[in-house]
Amino acid sequence: MRSKRGLRHDRAMAIIEVRDLTKRYGGRAVVDEVTFSVEEGEIFAILGPNGAGKTTTVEMIGGLRRPDGGSVRVMGLDPIADPRRTKEILGMQLQESQFADRIRVGEALELFSSFYPSPVPWRQLMEELGLSEQERTLFSRLSGGQRQRLSIATALVGSPKIAVLDELTTGLDPKARRDTWELIEALRDRGVTIVLVTHFMEEAERLADRVAVIDRGRLVALDTPRGLISSTASRQVMRFRPGTPLDPDDLRDLAEVETVTDEGGTLTVTGSEGLVYAVTSLLARRQVVAHELRVDTATLDDAFLALTGREPETEETER
Amino acid sequence: MRAMWLEIRDELVGILREPTALFFSVLMPVGFFTFFVAMFGEAWENAGTAMIVPFGTFGVLAVVLMNPGIGMADAHQRGWLRVKRVSGIPLWMTIAAKVIASIPYAVAVLAAITASAVFVGDMRFDAGEVAVVFAVLVLGVLPFAFFSVAIGSRVGANAAAAILNAILMPSAIVSGLWFPYEMLPEAIARIGSVLPTYHLARLAMAPVDGGAWLGHLLVLAATAAVGAMVATMAYRSARL
Repeated sequence: MRSKRGLRHDRAMAIIEVRDLTKRYGGRAVVDEVTFSVEEGEIFAILGPNGAGKTTTVEMIGGLRRPDGGSVRVMGLDPIADPRRTKEILGMQLQESQFADRIRVGEALELFSSFYPSPVPWRQLMEELGLSEQERTLFSRLSGGQRQRLSIATALVGSPKIAVLDELTTGLDPKARRDTWELIEALRDRGVTIVLVTHFMEEAERLADRVAVIDRGRLVALDTPRGLISSTASRQVMRFRPGTPLDPDDLRDLAEVETVTDEGGTLTVTGSEGLVYAVTSLLARRQVVAHELRVDTATLDDAFLALTGREPETEETER
Repeated sequence: MRAMWLEIRDELVGILREPTALFFSVLMPVGFFTFFVAMFGEAWENAGTAMIVPFGTFGVLAVVLMNPGIGMADAHQRGWLRVKRVSGIPLWMTIAAKVIASIPYAVAVLAAITASAVFVGDMRFDAGEVAVVFAVLVLGVLPFAFFSVAIGSRVGANAAAAILNAILMPSAIVSGLWFPYEMLPEAIARIGSVLPTYHLARLAMAPVDGGAWLGHLLVLAATAAVGAMVATMAYRSARL
């Protein structure tokens, strides 16, 4: 199996090993025996809806939370037992992190660079990330995109081998999002292994060499984006608006149908080969006209829906 | 060392860029001091002198017990502590910087109370005595900053303010910081005598009245050791 960069996953070295990782709050497993490894030099996406357990998973990888079960190794180090050495090789940018309003960009970078034995020159990093003109700007006065770039900068100033980026483009406008994607790709090209946490399908499909799909705390799939889509290739997706009321359960009763969702009167039906014939036959029997009918090939969104039974979140649903 | 200095600089710069907290933190104890001296100052000689040690103790306690903890709670709530925790900074450095950065608050409140004593009361100290009392108070109050940081690591800013106030006011009263210790009922005075706040006041008074100081110093040293442990454990286990 090859990734976007041609890495052979059966031979590449694992830089992060996660085995049966578990975290419980109030008796409920929010991360439930998750197992995967991240290979050196890849962009590894952890994809799932909000509340799936993605951030908790990477927090345990970074040593911010103690697992209740299983193990994490970052280049052989236990992040809980050896936090200092782990943080020298693992840079993290986590969601729900905010800098102090009254700190300036240059001060923040100078401060964080002092925490590491061999940091990247922070002025050089500031320039590479397009923040030179904001060196004396207070954090409270930065735009959303500038704040994200500062977050990336503080995650990278220690010259880490691995960067964990958690929901980095949430809340950004489309241009800022695409600029950030280019930044991430440039990082990977410099040899930094990236763990990317996201709930945007497009982002995972565009950037990731491999994708781990997490839902309700469990790992439901792990493959390249193409591999995940291929597993649904035999699946078909139909979207239409029925001209007269149609009970979705009538569609679900068809053997070829796997899922039916209703969004404001538009039905989305996924299923296996023969879906189109089965559905159109049913509509004909019920004398229901299908308006705005579309039959699509599977995308990562469809793979997600097939794996989890739920619609993926998009920029529109996020707003 | 450089990282420690930059961490302290970050805290101090925060105070300078948002001086409102400093101003109002100093205002309360100075206000109380001025009020008490004005109300009761004529009742005895050298009222400014007599009150500066207990009110100076209350003043440094008020600012050092409240501000590091509220600052920590605010940093916790907004996610700033989260950014620091995933970086390479050692836990102890963040805590130590917060404690050391409380010194300007202590110095400011003592300067303001002294100025008030000069103008409102009858200030009779010599410079050497003042310097020693100030040094004792500024250093002796630092153990309390650890407890403040511990509380701020675990709760939000509003809750931190309420909890720290609930600790400060009763401690100050039973330690004889508002009313002369000798005037307190025996049962209350006995409670006060075991509190670190009482020992801080006695240690600060020792250069003035020549009283014993070693026992009080040992209590504060033990308070510092316990406080540092509690702050470290609280911050380490905080859910950021």
